[in-house]
Amino acid sequence: MSDFLLTQIINYGAPVLGLIVFIGALGAPFPGTLLVVAAGAFVRQGLLTWHTAALMALAFVVLGDTLSYGMGYFAREPVLRRFEHSQNWAKAQAAFTRWGGMAVFWTRFLITGIAVPVNLIAGTSGFGLRRFFLYDLVGEAIWIFGYGGLGYLFGMQWEAVSDLLENISGLALGLVLLGLGLWLGIRQWRIVEARKANVPEA
Amino acid sequence: MTPRMQRFLVLGLITAGILLAVFFGLRAAFAFREFRRHGGPPFPAPLEAQSDPSAETDVELIREWMTIPYIARMYRVPPEALFEAVGLPRSKSVAEMSLKQLNDAYFPQAEGFVMTTVKAAILKYQAQNPSPPTPPSLPTAPAP
Repeated sequence: MSDFLLTQIINYGAPVLGLIVFIGALGAPFPGTLLVVAAGAFVRQGLLTWHTAALMALAFVVLGDTLSYGMGYFAREPVLRRFEHSQNWAKAQAAFTRWGGMAVFWTRFLITGIAVPVNLIAGTSGFGLRRFFLYDLVGEAIWIFGYGGLGYLFGMQWEAVSDLLENISGLALGLVLLGLGLWLGIRQWRIVEARKANVPEA
Repeated sequence: MTPRMQRFLVLGLITAGILLAVFFGLRAAFAFREFRRHGGPPFPAPLEAQSDPSAETDVELIREWMTIPYIARMYRVPPEALFEAVGLPRSKSVAEMSLKQLNDAYFPQAEGFVMTTVKAAILKYQAQNPSPPTPPSLPTAPAP
């Protein structure tokens, strides 16, 4: 898949890059990071112009993210019908309202594997569109300019850079899941301990 | 959510987290080692190399997804020389096909033929047309 997409980028340039990141933002399993780093190297080789490639990719990826947020938003009614009386749903919604901005921001360029689910959850949980757009734009700008910049900087070594970045992204996802699991575990353990302390001894 | 389900969720998250962290951590460490093996970034690159990518001479960097015009541009070799070496006309459809696609379409019986031929053609062209040596930098005048 990545070979085919790279060939299309060198043949048709920035519009194809924009289209690929747009479809990727809607959930297609495209190797977005690899292509952005490669695009940076193509800019260095004079195949793409940096402003056209970067602005087109940024505009299209933000549009794709906003559409997937919209999908979550329009799925909100059935989800609410199913879960509106659930305490856990209320807690999850409150947590996303509080931490959602950071979730949107970090999943744009570091933990990219869960970016689409985060978009959907943001839309479903009623996270404000303006806030979503702002965090999304900043995060995606780091992805496009930062990763593309690394591709530009390292030129022909872009494959090694992309490999490293993708593995760091997987490592970050693992650490986030581990941290979340430990946090929930400790919280549960404290609740159990508190309950034990409140039970009068026989 | 029942306490039992919560315990499963916590255990699942911790297990998945450890597995992912170990797997990608090891891969990242190997990737970093590989990355360092390639040397540091070519930055700050010499000005002449920045404006002239003909500095590229290592044919081992050619990949199957590359097209002949792209390779010709990268190695500063006339595309005609590469099309001629492979024995294909320089049409739009051929020019837009990757080396792998060309091989599959025109030489299915000879795996890797296009790649090998293109590499050989580049090496031959470079041997026949060595790039001019870079002029030595002029000595700067001492500051008054």
